[in-house]
Amino acid sequence: MSRLNIGMISFAHAHAFDYLASLLHMSEVTVGGIADEVPERTEALAKHHSIPYYADYKELLADANIDAVIICSENVYHGELAIASARAGKHVLCEKPLGLSVEEMQRMILVCSEEGVQLMTAFPCRFLTPVVRAKEALDRGDIGEIIAFKGTNRGSFPGPKWFSDEALSGGGAVLDHTVHVMDLMNWFSGSSVEQVYAYADTLFDPERKRMIDDAGMVHVTFENGVFGVLDPSWSRNPGFPTWGDVTVEIIGTKGVISIDAFNQKNNVYGRVSGKGSRSFWGDDMNELMLKAFVQALIEGVEVPISGIDGLRSTEVALTAYQSVHAGQPVRLNK
Amino acid sequence: MIRTAVIGCGSMGTVHADRYKSMPEAELVAVCDIVDKAAEVLGNLVGVSYFISVHEMLEQVKPEVVSIAVPTYLHVPLVRIAADHGAHVICEKPLALTSQEAEEAIRYCSERGVSLFVGHVVRFFPSYRQLAEGIKQLGSDQGGIYHAKRAGSHPGNVQEWFRDPLLSGGVIMDLMIHDIDYIRGAFGEAREVYAFQHQSEDINYASATFRFKNGTIAQLEAFWGYPGSFHSSFEYADAEGIISGGTGDGESLHIRKSITTGSTSGFVETPSGVLLKDPYFLELEHFLSCLISGEEPIVTAQDALEAVRWAEAAQQSAMTHQPVKLEVKEEIE
Repeated sequence: MSRLNIGMISFAHAHAFDYLASLLHMSEVTVGGIADEVPERTEALAKHHSIPYYADYKELLADANIDAVIICSENVYHGELAIASARAGKHVLCEKPLGLSVEEMQRMILVCSEEGVQLMTAFPCRFLTPVVRAKEALDRGDIGEIIAFKGTNRGSFPGPKWFSDEALSGGGAVLDHTVHVMDLMNWFSGSSVEQVYAYADTLFDPERKRMIDDAGMVHVTFENGVFGVLDPSWSRNPGFPTWGDVTVEIIGTKGVISIDAFNQKNNVYGRVSGKGSRSFWGDDMNELMLKAFVQALIEGVEVPISGIDGLRSTEVALTAYQSVHAGQPVRLNK
Repeated sequence: MIRTAVIGCGSMGTVHADRYKSMPEAELVAVCDIVDKAAEVLGNLVGVSYFISVHEMLEQVKPEVVSIAVPTYLHVPLVRIAADHGAHVICEKPLALTSQEAEEAIRYCSERGVSLFVGHVVRFFPSYRQLAEGIKQLGSDQGGIYHAKRAGSHPGNVQEWFRDPLLSGGVIMDLMIHDIDYIRGAFGEAREVYAFQHQSEDINYASATFRFKNGTIAQLEAFWGYPGSFHSSFEYADAEGIISGGTGDGESLHIRKSITTGSTSGFVETPSGVLLKDPYFLELEHFLSCLISGEEPIVTAQDALEAVRWAEAAQQSAMTHQPVKLEVKEEIE
């Protein structure tokens, strides 16, 4: 295979627009179709780029020319869409969180395996250059053995309404923003989370109408004794100069690695905007992630981030909610 | 003029002596250290008589206020000696290694009619004072998320006793207690703490999350053995706003000197404090003024005791890997 034909299923998650923009730049990729249940969102965009538009994703899956799909639906539909795509013989890149229960994610992984298609979880943070360099430093033994992590993935309250509807999202900030940095901690530690203790609350809605968690603190203990703590809160307000952050500090026996992944920026102070803002100039993680997905499929090798990776970090977020309800640490099921 | 004396002529004792020396309302009358060289150096530096015996100093110069700036395991024994001589006490933090000892120190001073103050200096940093006011002004009654960090080289490299948790209390009791006391002041009563600690010869790292009754979640880190210069930072975020600050936000003056001979690095950097009254001065001035007026200080000995209790709870959580509940205890009278 020298080219890849990719279909995009659902634009409920705004990342889909970024992914599409990146795919359109890639010479080895054809965007073979856009399926989106909300025509106002994408029909005109698809037409503008001469991409076939479908209101029903099943029509897209019926196109035998499409090799792979990218799923950016509401979280609750990830399982159904990924399984249908796999059954249609398409490789899958699924937005995070991979699924909303361990059983669902196991089924997604199983069906993809049965159908001989690859399943990749969209964890673009793995492709942030500072993160890649940190992993290289860890592998070189620059800071000895890992003792602990402190991470933040603070963000702004997401625009689309479904994020605050538990029936569609499956959870709030603790689900949405735990999974990215949790995946990094899993990757860095080379171990598995054994115990989770978490807080979740709704603290950041000045109107106090929000029905979903927007604040939390997730503590994990790995099997190898490494400790991690992570702030996944949607705590950035419109006055803050940027949308949020991804930071990880890795405390080792022989040193410390500090990642502030988006701290590659200019500071911009516009008269009209009335506030300062940050303008990021680092490498584009979404594009690097998509290239890695495309490259692996073209070369017929394993995608760099698996469904199991998606499951492992989502399981921590799901266990975090169990811990919140139990009010005590919860051990992961083996 | 209040007659003051300093017990302990190390780095903190030197700070206390220096600030008393420059304070119009105080008269520094003596310094004392069991290490005669240390006593002599500081005594000569600030131009007062120096002693190697605490008893001798207290009996001869009869100070009204005594600063205690000795290793933590000696705090309470010296608080008792000072109180026995009728001197009011300003003790460096932490008040004691255990809450039991801290209670005893408070009771002992109270019974002898002397005041006890504890030097939780972070409350006197202008940046933290503004933060506390800012938290009130933002005023989200749902609470918010707080992060604070304090990291630097291992003090055991300079003073060996820091390395022994039985003498120093370790990084939670000695370093994190700054932020523990601060969050108590800023957020009030807490429900529980969940903590992690790593202790080895070179590293003592701790991470502790406090959950407050008002909803606030405060995540603290304290680090001895950090491979870089000392730094601290904080961020508070709630529904109404975000306030952050730290070491890098407090540096308004750097003096960098070129070096012409015998140096490969080329320059020497001296970070300079640039406040007319530094936090230690403000702290000591405040305690002396409370002594005169009889007003309650912004941080009381009872607060210092509670901070020790919270630090103990964090230590316990780190040992057991379980959250530890924080109960409100009766005040010691």
